[in-house]
Amino acid sequence: MNAASFRSPWFWMTLAALGLLALFVLYPLVNILSASLFGEGPSGWSRLVSTPKYIEAILNTLILASAVTVICTIIGVPLAYVTARYSFRGKALIALLPLITLVIPEVIAAQTWLMMLGNNGLITKAMREIGIRLPSFYGWFGLITSMSFIYYTYVYIGTVAAIGKFDVQLEEAAQSLGTPPALARIKVMLPVILPAILASALLVFTMTVGNFAISMILSHRLPLLSVVTYQAAVAEGTSSITMQSTLASVSVLIVMAVLFVNRWIVSRGRYEIVQGRGARPVPLKGLRGALVAGSAGLVVAISLLPLLTITLGAFTTARGPVMQWGEWTLDNLARVFVTAPEPLVNSLTYAGIATFISIAFSAIVSYLVVKKPNLVTPAVDYISAIPLALSGTVLGVGLLAAFNGGWLPLTGTPIIIVLAYVIRRMPFGMRNGQAVLHNIPNSIEEASISLGVAPVRSFLRVVLPVMLPAVASAAILTWTTTVSELSASILVYSGGRETLPIQIFRLIDSGLMAYASAYGLVLVAVILIPVVLANRLFGIDVFSSK
Amino acid sequence: MSIDISNLDVTYGQEKVISGLSLAIPEGCFFTLLGPSGCGKTTLLRTIAGFVSASAGSISFSGRNVTQLPPHKRNIGMVFQDYALFPDKTVAQNVAYGLHARGEKGEGVTRKVAEALERVGLGHLGARHPAALSGGQRQRVALARALVIKPQVLLMDEPLSNLDAKLRIQIRETITELQREANITTVFVTHDQEEALSMSDLIGVMNRGAVEQLGTPQDIYGTPRTGYVADFVGAANRLPVQLHASDGRLAEATLGSVRIKATDALPGPASEGLLILRPEDLKISATPHDPMQSLPAMVKGRQYLGSKTSYRLELGDALQVVAELHGPGHDGFAPGDRVNLGIDPALARVIAA
Repeated sequence: MNAASFRSPWFWMTLAALGLLALFVLYPLVNILSASLFGEGPSGWSRLVSTPKYIEAILNTLILASAVTVICTIIGVPLAYVTARYSFRGKALIALLPLITLVIPEVIAAQTWLMMLGNNGLITKAMREIGIRLPSFYGWFGLITSMSFIYYTYVYIGTVAAIGKFDVQLEEAAQSLGTPPALARIKVMLPVILPAILASALLVFTMTVGNFAISMILSHRLPLLSVVTYQAAVAEGTSSITMQSTLASVSVLIVMAVLFVNRWIVSRGRYEIVQGRGARPVPLKGLRGALVAGSAGLVVAISLLPLLTITLGAFTTARGPVMQWGEWTLDNLARVFVTAPEPLVNSLTYAGIATFISIAFSAIVSYLVVKKPNLVTPAVDYISAIPLALSGTVLGVGLLAAFNGGWLPLTGTPIIIVLAYVIRRMPFGMRNGQAVLHNIPNSIEEASISLGVAPVRSFLRVVLPVMLPAVASAAILTWTTTVSELSASILVYSGGRETLPIQIFRLIDSGLMAYASAYGLVLVAVILIPVVLANRLFGIDVFSSK
Repeated sequence: MSIDISNLDVTYGQEKVISGLSLAIPEGCFFTLLGPSGCGKTTLLRTIAGFVSASAGSISFSGRNVTQLPPHKRNIGMVFQDYALFPDKTVAQNVAYGLHARGEKGEGVTRKVAEALERVGLGHLGARHPAALSGGQRQRVALARALVIKPQVLLMDEPLSNLDAKLRIQIRETITELQREANITTVFVTHDQEEALSMSDLIGVMNRGAVEQLGTPQDIYGTPRTGYVADFVGAANRLPVQLHASDGRLAEATLGSVRIKATDALPGPASEGLLILRPEDLKISATPHDPMQSLPAMVKGRQYLGSKTSYRLELGDALQVVAELHGPGHDGFAPGDRVNLGIDPALARVIAA
């Protein structure tokens, strides 16, 4: 570090990025932690331990997260194994799995389960007619089932990637040393892919802890951490924020503990996976083939079910909460586009702006972090990863705590919604940007400079075009996830600024499933259209960057 | 354009990578910086380019001080180890890039690009993208791109190290031809002595951030001034000796317990020195060599290498030397044989220890 670094434009840009991150990431977090300790009246922590409902909520959340994690692993790992190692009929369908998690917002998945198995659900009613009373879908049963069928894809994706990198020659080596094939696989492959499985399982754990949509819709009277946090935030408003901050701090602590365990596993399990010969899938035929294809197909079908349900629901007549299945109508969609189009307009506007800001910020800041490191770079790198550890609810509470009145009043403006979107997605954009930039050699930028083009213009003319395909795919990914964001925006939005997910959530809450389906169908279309267009027009495979 | 470097210091953090380096490269010279990795040769090249800033000293191009000038204003052509072609642009667009940056447009650019590509033998590939080219073709594009802007100075950072052996020799010739033709002052960085010897007008052998010896290829190979240079350029046996008398041309020295004569390459009178024996200058025979001085030795090991055989010999006093035999019957000795090692005083040299 010498005087020249302070003169460089890159240094000041890094400093500006650090300032923004400190203001919009660190400051809200500090506000939460301090409000939990130094609120009015008794400290939040003493109220937390003396209120049975809160303790129960924490325990329930941990139990739920553990159960969902275990079930996701039980579904995801074998599914990944059979797809990586065998070929069977209908295998191509399983390749759709990443797409499913991407295009079906959680709130719509929860809605589907309710429409099938809720009190007025299709299956529930059909069963009742033939005299079978199903257990209530609200509570543990519904929570565990619906979350497992969404989150198992993360274990699946993580495991498939690890098996793909596994060198089959290790397995052959074990066999050549006298171990029977099946045993060789377990003995040799499992230890190598275990860290990846555990890492994806822990991801499921944190996502379950932070889950808002399904928890709200299906928990009913069962207290859960994200639900009581939301309720505390709604009850306290913004005048006194002790309890919501304390509960938010609890989830931050839980996620931090999980991240700590994750780091420990990663540091212990650092086997050098030498990129070796991958395995050729073995065809499965006969009964075994049918069995594997059947169970894999079932899992995928259940995951795809929401698309079918909302499509049917969107065109079905309803009288209040009662669906008149078989009677078709366009009224529901008319409401989305004509009578009450505000949620659609709001979603497109906010998510569009947020995507642009998030991608521009991550592209520039990744460039600064990777190619122009200086004294403050480690701080930028570190703080930009913090939102990964914050659930939407926690972020919402933090933004309310930090920007309600005071010197920067943002509550009640659309800015705070856009801000919530940007902060939640920015770490993913940063990771993508950094990965891309690590693969771009410094020399092409230097080549441009040596040919007489000034540094900033060299970045724009040489580095940016090379980054562009990856940036475009990151933009689409950011778009799909911001447009379905619910948990943070529902805390910070104000009347008239409802987005599609918020509107869907409120309609489900009122039991108006037909309307909810119509908004849901439009939301899925809004998510899917850019994905398909990018693929068709520019050949961008969004899932490669995931 | 000549390059003058005086008292240059470059530091990375606390570490001094180049210290007090001075160097004058005459106009039109093909100058090679030769040294192992970590010796500072790439840093020196990048300092000349302006990508690394000097912490002290100065660099001038033909008397004009460029030390504070940013790289994009130095009018240099640079060829990178990984070629650094812009992957999203075609070959022709790559070559045209520097011309556009200089505000040139239209017909003139098209003509210059075509000429430049023609000169490196790639006239037909202008529309391709770099990904569709072989390594050697990429290297030629990089060369065309650097030369088309008619730079004052051409800088090349190990441009041949990613190519296979045969292609390397081909492109060596292309590079030297183009350089002579354009008469551009060139600084070429390499760790490959063969490249350095075959291409350069002048070589600077670098060691720990300093130029250890500067000279023509013949100087560097024939009369290395230090043990480091002798060993790095070509192979050399380096043996510590006691010095006795010298008539200015031949010095008398004790090697272990025997006396031998060797060419005096000492800077001044000294009592200790380093005897430099190139393996290919040594002779082995069963009987003592006649005109040469001869030392008894025993064959300890040998490697048959096709056109020659390399022997490891023990001279007694635990001194070992490597000797290479060429010509018919070069593999005629076996480990355990007692032989005579012939040393020609004209080819053996004593330098400062």
